[in-house]
Amino acid sequence: MKKQFLFLATAMILILSACKKETTYVNQTVVDNYIYAVDGEELYQSNIEKDKEKSPEQYLSILYTNLFKTTIDQTDLLQLAEVRRAIGDKQMADELILNGFVNSIDIELPTDSEMRADLDQFVENTYIRFFLRMPTPYEIYELKDAIESDAGLSPELIYQGFALSNEYKFY
Amino acid sequence: MKRRSFLKNTSLSAASVITAPYILPSGRLFAATGDRIVNHVVLVLFAGGIRQQESVEQQYIASQNGASTTGNLMRNMLSGAAPTSNLQPLGNEGLWDPIQNNSLASQGTLFQEVIYQEGPPGHYNGHAVALTGNYYPNNINLNESPSNPTIFELYRKHNDPVQSALNAWWISEGLGPYPSLNYSQDPLYGSQYGANYLRPASIFAGSGQAQLGNAQTYQPDDVSRISKIKAMLDNNFDQSGNGLPGIENTPENRELIKGFLTNTIQDVQNGMLDLAVPNGSNFVTGDLINISSAWTVMKEFAPELTVINTANLDVCHGDFSQYLNFLHRADYGVGWLWDKIQGPEGAAAGLKDDTIMICVPEHGRNWVTNNNTDNNGMRALDHTAENIAQLPDYNLPYTNSRRIFTLIVGPEGKVVPNQVLGSPGNPVGESIDIAPTVANILGFDENIPAGLLPGRVLDEAFV
Repeated sequence: MKKQFLFLATAMILILSACKKETTYVNQTVVDNYIYAVDGEELYQSNIEKDKEKSPEQYLSILYTNLFKTTIDQTDLLQLAEVRRAIGDKQMADELILNGFVNSIDIELPTDSEMRADLDQFVENTYIRFFLRMPTPYEIYELKDAIESDAGLSPELIYQGFALSNEYKFY
Repeated sequence: MKRRSFLKNTSLSAASVITAPYILPSGRLFAATGDRIVNHVVLVLFAGGIRQQESVEQQYIASQNGASTTGNLMRNMLSGAAPTSNLQPLGNEGLWDPIQNNSLASQGTLFQEVIYQEGPPGHYNGHAVALTGNYYPNNINLNESPSNPTIFELYRKHNDPVQSALNAWWISEGLGPYPSLNYSQDPLYGSQYGANYLRPASIFAGSGQAQLGNAQTYQPDDVSRISKIKAMLDNNFDQSGNGLPGIENTPENRELIKGFLTNTIQDVQNGMLDLAVPNGSNFVTGDLINISSAWTVMKEFAPELTVINTANLDVCHGDFSQYLNFLHRADYGVGWLWDKIQGPEGAAAGLKDDTIMICVPEHGRNWVTNNNTDNNGMRALDHTAENIAQLPDYNLPYTNSRRIFTLIVGPEGKVVPNQVLGSPGNPVGESIDIAPTVANILGFDENIPAGLLPGRVLDEAFV
């Protein structure tokens, strides 16, 4: 099973690499242990490069890895795929699955105070974690402004927004 | 129908004199529901492949070589005495007392000989025929939605006023191709008119319990925050997930359904799900889980259109005894569901006396057994297009797999009670008649473009 997943991950890296003209490398530990994550992670130049939709299984396994920083167990992946298939409204299914993830004690989330102590770093880390790219200056401004203007906007809710976004469903 | 049509037309003519200024350009009155027989329809696809021999003909095991015991295994749905001997196929549970004091057939109309006229007698085809009102001459690709619009799409597009997906549910036992039946490939219809699909056994038990049992629930403020972040990010990305098809509820309805699903999962964890089994029984089939869960949906949302199926009876390919057993349990589930609809909870949800239930198998099964023998020495049955000319002792002009029945039960004064129609060789009604009948009950049949539904309304059933 692990082999299958490594194969999928490798294939994804090859696909991601193949569709890029330029590459940027960042040396940060924020994406350590994550499926594609090695220091020197290859990032997208912009989201325009993302034109292929993830399959449900890709979406679920990558989401799991993004949130838990470990690969998903094959049994869990099959169960999640079944849950997703058993609900007709796929947006709702994704939201429910995500709601299950965020209540897990194993999820790796920054605290609210950690987020607010260094907003620039949080925004950049979050874009890299979920979108595999750096945010544009406008995106930095936009997300920082949203956080600063709403004391109730927690990292958990922001992660939910990223995981449910259209961009996250593409590679 | 003649009388009903006359009354309807007379009423409309009289009403038009009074309400002419309120007639819409479409030609319909504002209050389209005035054409309805009732406001709720439950279609039970009593599926898995059920033979006439073991259902309406009440032959029990008499079709098996060397056996002669007959009897009615479906005492909730059909009138007739239960078998009194050779009950070993029913296992340790034996016979369950019916929950209906009087059979549903006595409360409604039984089309006891209906024909599945064309196309392969396969489960997906059979479901698709009932739900689209069209026959498919070849096997439908199991990975594709049907080409003709489903009854869900017809309802959501043509009912006046337009209703949300909260009013249309497709609740199936078994995944396989069944999720694909909540909307079609027809470019004029599609997912925006689809039903809320749910497979309860995957959500309320098993995988759903494991993965969603601890799901976080959010207050409206936090839901709004998540939506705001998503919208902000979506504004900066010009593609959406069209390749991941699914119906879409409104954000408000989505939250309602999420809350309902989460609460029901917790109810199941706490042993609080109302199960369609007699007190003291622990024999819960997948079909009964499906029916029980469908009831939780119905009492929560009171949908106008609910479609449920059974599927476990397909065990008949290898185990005739278990087929009889599951048939008996599924019948109890249908009786239980009608009891709920007509009970206090049904009244509270507005379903009592305002619901019509239609029960119909998707197709039958073969005349001749296959080579599989179960633990009781009984031979199993497939469902294929048998060659009639080669069948011993078979004297009908259509194959056994094409023989089905249709039971329609509803409120007094709306559905004709205690009426039995059709006989072997003289069928009344076809599989393709189910969709137009549903449309007629809910009053949107005349809004459907001509040619989409070749079947007819089974109007003999209605007062």
